[in-house]
Amino acid sequence: MSSLTKIPAGVQYFFDDEVKLRRYVEQQAMKVFAGWSYDEIILPMFDYHDLFARGMGEEKAERTYRFVDRDGALLALRPELTSLVARTVATRFIKRERPVRLCYSGEVFRYDEPTERAAREFHQLGVEHIGEPDIVADIEVLLVAAEVLTALGLDGFRIALSHVDFFNGVAEFLKLDGAERARLRELIDRRNSIAVEEFLQARAASVEQSRRADFSRLIQIAGKQDVIRRALEILINERSRAAVEHLDKIYSTLVSLGLGENFDVDLGDAGGLEYYTGLTFKIYVPDCGAEIGGGGRYDNLIANFGKPEPAVGFSIALDGLVGAIPLGDETQRWRNANEAQAISFNGDPERAFNQAREMRKQGKQVKISAK
Amino acid sequence: MQDDALALFARAGIIVAESELNSRKLVINSADGRYSFVLVKPGDVPTYVEYGVADAGVCGRDVLMESRADVHEPLDLKFGQCKIAVAGKREVLGEDYNLLATVRVGTKYPRIATDYFHAKGVPIEVIALSGSVELAPLLGLSDRIVDLVETGQTLRENGLEVIDVITESTARLIVNRASLHLKRVEVGALIAKLTEALSQ
Repeated sequence: MSSLTKIPAGVQYFFDDEVKLRRYVEQQAMKVFAGWSYDEIILPMFDYHDLFARGMGEEKAERTYRFVDRDGALLALRPELTSLVARTVATRFIKRERPVRLCYSGEVFRYDEPTERAAREFHQLGVEHIGEPDIVADIEVLLVAAEVLTALGLDGFRIALSHVDFFNGVAEFLKLDGAERARLRELIDRRNSIAVEEFLQARAASVEQSRRADFSRLIQIAGKQDVIRRALEILINERSRAAVEHLDKIYSTLVSLGLGENFDVDLGDAGGLEYYTGLTFKIYVPDCGAEIGGGGRYDNLIANFGKPEPAVGFSIALDGLVGAIPLGDETQRWRNANEAQAISFNGDPERAFNQAREMRKQGKQVKISAK
Repeated sequence: MQDDALALFARAGIIVAESELNSRKLVINSADGRYSFVLVKPGDVPTYVEYGVADAGVCGRDVLMESRADVHEPLDLKFGQCKIAVAGKREVLGEDYNLLATVRVGTKYPRIATDYFHAKGVPIEVIALSGSVELAPLLGLSDRIVDLVETGQTLRENGLEVIDVITESTARLIVNRASLHLKRVEVGALIAKLTEALSQ
């Protein structure tokens, strides 16, 4: 295998306009984060594998690139940044006033099977809001995410809101065991409402048929207040009802802020149940076939590194944002406004470089040519 | 599968004119101009939908399982019924795969085959083929095959028999994960129309 004829799967090189665009997008996002008082934290590229396993769970930590330290300890390139933030807050920030607001921008490394389309080294932008259990923190991070998208001119974005207790409440009510729970989750994730109805018919025969049918339709597609209203009519168990009421409060606030068009309520999103403990959300932008980011509340994570603390946050893939902005558009703000001014050397170094220094003092872009 | 799919879409009120179908265009429109259809090979359907180039697609469950595409699968369209089965010459191994250290399996479905045998604790050597899979056990290329079976006629004529059915397959409507949100109203209407047509 020669490094001249092969490239490792998933690596990327960037140059020309694409670099300018990436830097511009990153700066815009970080500016928004700073505007909401999130302080940037720079984190190590690798740490003990065990730290990521504690943070994200064994299964996800399996997808890391691993290597050994000189003492034989197992290390991993960082597959995500939240675990590193959580550890820092639980240890070194122990005496700081809460809530702690932190943001980051950096590459993560993940070996993602089987979707080989995905880059294995990618850049994430994100925030973590730690120490605030109130719904106000949930709404704040949603607004921060929305502002990043708006700041980049991606007005057609859609953020789909869900809550883990919607599904957990249903699973509890139906007294599902591990395998059945996984089965129902899979059916809901596929949005296969007919199969969900059949499942409920077998597992919840005592519940009226119409209620089961309504539930099956509820998970098929996202919506607005209608989804919340229908869910509250259908749901019997308290845990799911509380989850939907929580979403109702968040969604009503977003509507009153004029963001109703950009947010949806999606009760068919049953992902991230192991990790999140409350609100969850996924971020979509036009012409990108997959979510470009997501987040939610994870009140159990920090306890893995110290004492329990509520937390909510999100991350967005820089590649997703960059992909949504047209590269060919000459009017884009991220292009350099001023062209470089040529200075010819002409055998007189003193004159040429003096002139260059003067122009640099004025902030101009110079380009020395030998002729 | 294309004919069945078009018939179902027609019942749902989404009609494609004959002239469009008879043309050699790969992107054709419905009569009302509200839907565009992209004609691709069955195995490519999940790819087009996963990447969001097409918002939705119709493909067999077998193709979907093999592709492992990350898409929604809201409707079983009921047509295109077939089985993915393990077949072979029974006299070679009986049903006891464990007699061999490794079973050689000829197939167009390497992932489905691997998952099936691994779940039984049997290591396999996948021999990836792209057609005439039934030949493999006859000529001694493989011990077993994993293939699509509709009537079983081809198998019988070649002296093979179905040893186990891995899964039943029918056509599915699949939907891109982002389109479900970004084109919520349109996708919702499509699912509702097809659900209605299926229940007729």
